[in-house]
Amino acid sequence: MASSSSSGLTFKLHPLVIVNISDHYTRVKSQSLPTNGGADESSPRVFGCVIGVQRGRTVEIFNSFELLYEPSAHSLDRPFLEKKQELYKKVFPNFYILGWYSTGSDAQESDMIIHKALMDINESPVYVLLNPSINPAQKDLPVTIYESELHVIDGIPQLIFVRASYTIETVEAERISVDHVAHLKPSDGGSAATQLAAHLTGIHSAIKMLNSRIRVLHHYLLAMQKGDIPCENSLLRQVSSLLRRLPAIESEKFQDDFLMDYNDTLLISYLAMFTNCSSTMNELVDKFNTAYDRHSRRGGRTAFI
Amino acid sequence: MNLNMNSVESLVAQIQGLSGNIAELNQLRTYLKHSDDLLRAESPRLAPVLNELDPSVHSLGYLYILDACTSALVPKEQAKEFVLHIARFINVCAVEQIRLAPEKFISVCKRFKEHVLLLEDPIRGVAPLLTALRKLQMSSEQLTTLHPEFLLLCLLSKCYKTGLSILEDDIFEVDQPRDLFLYCYYGGLICIGQKQFRKALELLHNVVTAPMSIISAIAVEAYKKHILVSLIHLGQFSTGLPKYTSSAAQRNLKNFSQPYLELVNCYTTGNISDLEACVQSNKEKFETDNNLGLVKQVVSSLYKRNIQRLTQTYLTLSLQDIADSVHLNGPKEAEMHVLQMIQEGDIYATINQKDGMVRFLEDPEQYNSCEMIEHIDSSIQRIMMLSKKLTGMNEMMSCDPAYLGKAGRERQRFDFDDFDTVPTKFNI
Repeated sequence: MASSSSSGLTFKLHPLVIVNISDHYTRVKSQSLPTNGGADESSPRVFGCVIGVQRGRTVEIFNSFELLYEPSAHSLDRPFLEKKQELYKKVFPNFYILGWYSTGSDAQESDMIIHKALMDINESPVYVLLNPSINPAQKDLPVTIYESELHVIDGIPQLIFVRASYTIETVEAERISVDHVAHLKPSDGGSAATQLAAHLTGIHSAIKMLNSRIRVLHHYLLAMQKGDIPCENSLLRQVSSLLRRLPAIESEKFQDDFLMDYNDTLLISYLAMFTNCSSTMNELVDKFNTAYDRHSRRGGRTAFI
Repeated sequence: MNLNMNSVESLVAQIQGLSGNIAELNQLRTYLKHSDDLLRAESPRLAPVLNELDPSVHSLGYLYILDACTSALVPKEQAKEFVLHIARFINVCAVEQIRLAPEKFISVCKRFKEHVLLLEDPIRGVAPLLTALRKLQMSSEQLTTLHPEFLLLCLLSKCYKTGLSILEDDIFEVDQPRDLFLYCYYGGLICIGQKQFRKALELLHNVVTAPMSIISAIAVEAYKKHILVSLIHLGQFSTGLPKYTSSAAQRNLKNFSQPYLELVNCYTTGNISDLEACVQSNKEKFETDNNLGLVKQVVSSLYKRNIQRLTQTYLTLSLQDIADSVHLNGPKEAEMHVLQMIQEGDIYATINQKDGMVRFLEDPEQYNSCEMIEHIDSSIQRIMMLSKKLTGMNEMMSCDPAYLGKAGRERQRFDFDDFDTVPTKFNI
């Protein structure tokens, strides 16, 4: 059912759509009663519409909204859709309904019915599919965009779904909000310690990613030097320009100041650890004295841990 | 008699047969425990038996027989032989086998030390005891009974450097409290001998503050030396003991060291003549305690303290003025003292020989070098390890029944926060 699209359209997907779909799915899943999930599959399917702009060969999907699905009629709620469309037209006059979305691991036969139903609004709607199952090994986004094409199979012309490639496009506001969502802090607001931990974890993962990418480049360059891979001059030029951007400052005064700053930070963490150790030691000594010293000071309220 | 010799023969055969793997060794050990009395009865005749066994393979059996041999009093000539036997045994014995019978090993080594002292040649015992110590230790953090014996031999044979190498290890596990007292005391003496006063202070402090239910003589001696070393190294002594000292020590130690506390008082005034008068008056007491050498070092350190006090008031001073304020005999002596202090790192100064002026400087360490980074980094690693150990001990302490019993008893009847009755007694 899924092969490469040949329509030549370029698709641009905004993160808002992905967040919307994911949010819709999460809400429905957490609100569904646990006893009800016997007959259905454990992950409920959610449906909605995607809207955006089509300029020439570029299809840009900006936003999305939810729709109710009638499982018996295999159709989406039409009057609701039209009402929503009117409302959105007032605010975003440029946006058209470009297609619809759903969740699941793969496109299904019943989806084609919905797809055909939407064809009266848009001659060639798109189908955005989000895979809600979390796969930690997967590196890409679990979002696929399908188009419909008329193919001749067994002598019968049929509409089938074909996969289309897409890119992610962000506006500045979206970039900030995505960044914010990515660095969700713990709900208690966090004391200074948890905020510091979260901040340092972010830096740590960034440095780890940088390290792994540099290692890939290094490996590649080594292989090129050994002669396993043919020499590619444009890549070498890019690597060389990257290297020439470092180091930013190189002078003796900078070294001195930098090392002094570094030493200061180390000394502060040393001091903090010292204080921590002394406090633990103090507690230990108190406990030891309470337990074993026969004539230690009595009276008053001692903490019970 | 013959019957006994036959049983000894059968014992030897058993040892030779059962020294293969760990299961056999356990069997052998129970067998040897039963035959212990037999061995002791036969001790004079056991010496030739030793030649039939190979110490590196049959270590456990060899150990038992050695122990039985040396349990009786031996005359001096035989002592020499035994010393050789034991030294050889310690060098080649198998570690797992002797760890099965640690008390026997310790008693053999103790007798070895006694023999060596009897022969008045303590230096012969230093290397074998070091090997024995290393073999007996489960980890480098464990203190065994052999540690103080080894340090005693080092002290008597003046091999201070070998002793110092053992003192570098941090100790976290102790079997017997008496070992800890002796180890820290001897260790303190070795460090004083090597002029490493900081480490000596630490070790003597450990003896004084170690938990003890009744006061021990080792602690009293250590306290006296602690006072003196603290005066030499730090220039001051605080009579208050930290709160982790046992209450027995807190109450009684001061009573035994009156002359030393007088010395402290004289020292703090900073007056050389007063100090010397005080030393003269208490001279016999210091001599009986073998501390006179240390006391003399205290007197010479007072000059150093006074010169250091000058750095806080003056930026530049002439050598003559230094000699006058510190009551030295002349500018030449003052120059000598200042030079020595600069070399040892107690002071930062430059001497201008043309006009005899000394300029006092600040600590030149700028903390902007990579070596300093490494130094601080290694300190941070050490303190992280220490912190982990401390939290572990703290948790263990919280679960200790003795602590829980006493802590529960001390709480008031009603908890302010929830008005629940608080358990006042823990039946554990």
